[in-house]
Amino acid sequence: MSLHIVSKSPFSSTALSDCLDAFAEGDALLLIEDGVYALSGRMSERPAVQPVYCLAADAAARGLQIPDSVTAVDDAGWVALCAEHNPVVSWFK
Amino acid sequence: MTKRILALCRQAPYGNALAREGLEAVLAAAAMDQVADLLFCGDGVFQLLPEQSPAGIGQKSLQRNLQALPLFGVEQAYVCTKSLAQRGLDLEALSQGQLPLVPVDDSAALIATYDSVLSF
Amino acid sequence: MKFSLAVYSAPHSSQAAASALRFARALLREGHQLYRVFFYCDGVHNGSSLSAPPQDETDLLAGWQALQQQHQLDLVVCIAAAQRRGVLSDSEASRLEKPAANLAAGFELAGLGQLADAVAQSDRLVTFGG
Repeated sequence: MSLHIVSKSPFSSTALSDCLDAFAEGDALLLIEDGVYALSGRMSERPAVQPVYCLAADAAARGLQIPDSVTAVDDAGWVALCAEHNPVVSWFK
Repeated sequence: MTKRILALCRQAPYGNALAREGLEAVLAAAAMDQVADLLFCGDGVFQLLPEQSPAGIGQKSLQRNLQALPLFGVEQAYVCTKSLAQRGLDLEALSQGQLPLVPVDDSAALIATYDSVLSF
Repeated sequence: MKFSLAVYSAPHSSQAAASALRFARALLREGHQLYRVFFYCDGVHNGSSLSAPPQDETDLLAGWQALQQQHQLDLVVCIAAAQRRGVLSDSEASRLEKPAANLAAGFELAGLGQLADAVAQSDRLVTFGG
């Protein structure tokens, strides 16, 4: 199953919405860099897909709280997600 | 074992270099017998518009790269139908020479069949 | 597991290049193998020896070079993308009759075939762009 990595804010890029259109049951979503700004929208109450992960350092850097519905991961967790899923699909523009 | 590789093309041509450099990577891989399939989605579908004339902005046409794909063993390109609909485009109006365009409704299922995805 | 990374972004202009270095460090720490890092598009600027960030900022070039030395990494800069953007080795600079070379130690210039080879040889390819 695929791991989708989104690194742009949903308020300035279609990266997240394009990704969600290509998201299959069993896939996982990881928010990194400006992708973590999805946490300040609707995603924080009711994520569009499951499971959603978020790089803790990228959220902390931006002063964002990670809601209970989203799993925070450190850099080792990031590597583990990439090892557990295939293919890894990056959505960065 | 040959890997199944997908090139995910999401960028419009000319405004930034990623569309061109993505196609160059696909052509280089195919020349090494690593033939990738292509999926055009998002603004990437604009790469498929006919009659692009970028001479006036000092650029080479990207269509030459697209039309070279069949010569390198790329037999078809997938196109996301939702992206077309969002942009008011009709697959019939798009054409890239000898490269057949195949509409895809469920890009998630398509992506899941590949070993590796190159995003451009 | 064998990883390769594709880096499309210049250092110090978006976070992506720094993320790639962070991910490379983490996967090596976790005991995985890094087969190749392929620098493409604006990512070729990561291989410029002339970047000189202020002392209180992260020096990404020094970071890549230290990791390369420690793990004998294959840091490959796409030659076609690099020529367009002015990242040249000594031999390319003299061949193209340019006044200077700036490819950093630890990096090498090679063709796009090295990206295809990385995909073929690795269990995972992770792209850093934007």
